[in-house]
Amino acid sequence: MSTAGEQFLRQAAEKSSDLRHRKLIRHAIDQYSGSVVRGRARFLDWEEARQRSHEIKWEAVNHLDRYLLEFEQNVKARGARVFWAETSEDARRYIADLATQRNVRTVVKSKSMVTEEIHLNPALEKLGIEVFETDLGEFIVQLRDEPPYHIVTPAMHLTRGDIAALFKEKLGNVDTDDPQQLVAAARIALRKAFFSAEMGITGANFLVADSGMIAVTSNEGNARLCSSLPRIHVAIAGIEKVIPRADDLAILWPVLATAGTGQPITCYSTLIGGPRSANEIDGPEEFHVILLDNGRSDLLADPEQREVLNCIRCGACLNVCPVYRTVGGHTYGTTYQGPIGSVLTPHLRGIKEFQHLSSASSLCGACTETCPVKIDLHHHLLHNRRNAVETKNRSWRERMAFKIWRWSMLGAGRFALFGALSRAGLRAINGLGLAGTVFDPGRAWTKDRAPLRVPGKSFRALWQEQETKPGKEQDGAD
Amino acid sequence: MEPTENPGRERILARMRRALTVPSPKHRASGERNLVFAPIGHPLDRFQQECKENNTECRTVPDREASAAAIAQILASLPGGEVFVQDSSALREMAPAWPRVHNLKWSSDGPPGEASQATITHAEALVALTGSVLVSAECGGRGASIVAPIHIVVAGLDQLVPDLESAFSRQRERGTIARNSFLCLITGSSRTADIEKILVMGAHGPRRLIVVLSLQ
Repeated sequence: MSTAGEQFLRQAAEKSSDLRHRKLIRHAIDQYSGSVVRGRARFLDWEEARQRSHEIKWEAVNHLDRYLLEFEQNVKARGARVFWAETSEDARRYIADLATQRNVRTVVKSKSMVTEEIHLNPALEKLGIEVFETDLGEFIVQLRDEPPYHIVTPAMHLTRGDIAALFKEKLGNVDTDDPQQLVAAARIALRKAFFSAEMGITGANFLVADSGMIAVTSNEGNARLCSSLPRIHVAIAGIEKVIPRADDLAILWPVLATAGTGQPITCYSTLIGGPRSANEIDGPEEFHVILLDNGRSDLLADPEQREVLNCIRCGACLNVCPVYRTVGGHTYGTTYQGPIGSVLTPHLRGIKEFQHLSSASSLCGACTETCPVKIDLHHHLLHNRRNAVETKNRSWRERMAFKIWRWSMLGAGRFALFGALSRAGLRAINGLGLAGTVFDPGRAWTKDRAPLRVPGKSFRALWQEQETKPGKEQDGAD
Repeated sequence: MEPTENPGRERILARMRRALTVPSPKHRASGERNLVFAPIGHPLDRFQQECKENNTECRTVPDREASAAAIAQILASLPGGEVFVQDSSALREMAPAWPRVHNLKWSSDGPPGEASQATITHAEALVALTGSVLVSAECGGRGASIVAPIHIVVAGLDQLVPDLESAFSRQRERGTIARNSFLCLITGSSRTADIEKILVMGAHGPRRLIVVLSLQ
């Protein structure tokens, strides 16, 4: 059993040399990038929209207890039941117990990353409950028994040919690779599930404190069917999803859609508060909201990285990330991929096992630049690197090497001595023809590269010569 | 499933309160406020233009009588079967003008069935900025705007608001948000781009969203 870090390296090497995969992802992300440029142009001032979104989430996250209590009070007044889950296990157990008590045989789900985080589907399936993912992308990866490839576009890594072959095998009666007809086939396959399921499970993009409602966005309309037709609706969201006011959605809905897909606003921007009330025509008899902590309150306790909880899961940082585009979503081996996943996962699942993600970055800052709520993502990757070192999770060899390096850097004499020793060592290795062999301490670098050229003199020696040279040019024009 | 079975609640709240005793660095100061969206000069023009872009069929008619005729024309192109209609006095008055081939199901008799051909409802508001239709549970229920392949919205010009802020404030004044367990801002018809980012209309919801807008 290899570590998560070793697996990441192996899969990254595999995926980055898979040209078909690269072409597919480049095509999908190019489409996205074009839409986002058009989408942002609809704003008079996109930067102002980012700033306001940042401020809304900052206000909410920095008064999280207050707004969650306000939300709880208001949504309960509408007839909802609220459960606070400390861990994945708590949340799974609540839903599983509810499903058992209410004799649920079939569950329809709309796309929810939190349900991926808590591994809900296997827990329900173990009880003999049939679970249908109803977002098309999620439906496809569920049929393939795969995790989502991307926060927003779960089946980004597949061609229509792959999907056609999958549908032919799993659904039968499908003999086309026309996207229109593939969508129609999925619609028909899921239609029966929608009308027969006893329980619908959705996530929530926002929990609106002042109105006691959850906000769920969906383009396909599947989240709406999940929350309208079954007799029980369960919504699950991380505690960081709360926002103060419904009016905040006037900014957040367009910003989420633009950052996520380039759309002006998502097709169905829904607010749900409570089960069907006495004078309403339809809707579920029961509405449960699960507020999931699962490590988030620990992140809240870190003032330096608290703003990571501002994330609205738009997926924009994945799309702009040169690492994500090269190694692909599955390589991360995490629920949340890309820059936000690399920042968040060590907090949710332990820095020891997931510290390697902080180094899977070129620190180019594209993620920070695109983030619609202005999370300083690439600096948080640096913070995680520092934290990993401080918690002594590095190997003793690495720690020793850096100790020696630090000591040698702290004195001019020591620095000169180590420089001279290094040059002599390199010269010896090159001279003996050992560069790149197992006897070369720098093999990790030299095995695939030409040997380093060793300068004859140190920079300091060159500088001193220059300073003492008679008739030195003052302006240094050369 | 009683609330008392939730010891985690107090522990999560305690952890949050402890965490927040240390303030997070002051968020980036913002100078003067700029407008996020350009002001909307002609809401009707903007609404129609946005509808064109998001694939909503907007049909403007001079008055209510013409609305009834426009709906009749749409229904005439559909095969027979159930058509679900929000039970309102306005729609009851229009119904006699519609073709007799359909079995009209009024919302007072329950939600739309699985095989509904079309649904006809009112809206709470129309939003010019995004070319959207705001519906609530009172507009025929939750299923009325999602279950059938065609959703026909019957609206008036007085319902058109420029942007999302004005839509929210108007609904709050009227108590719509407090009264309804469901509200939805609908922008165009159901769609997906999950296969190779190719846009396909009509995923799980309506393939066609038609707004019959009376200018009276």
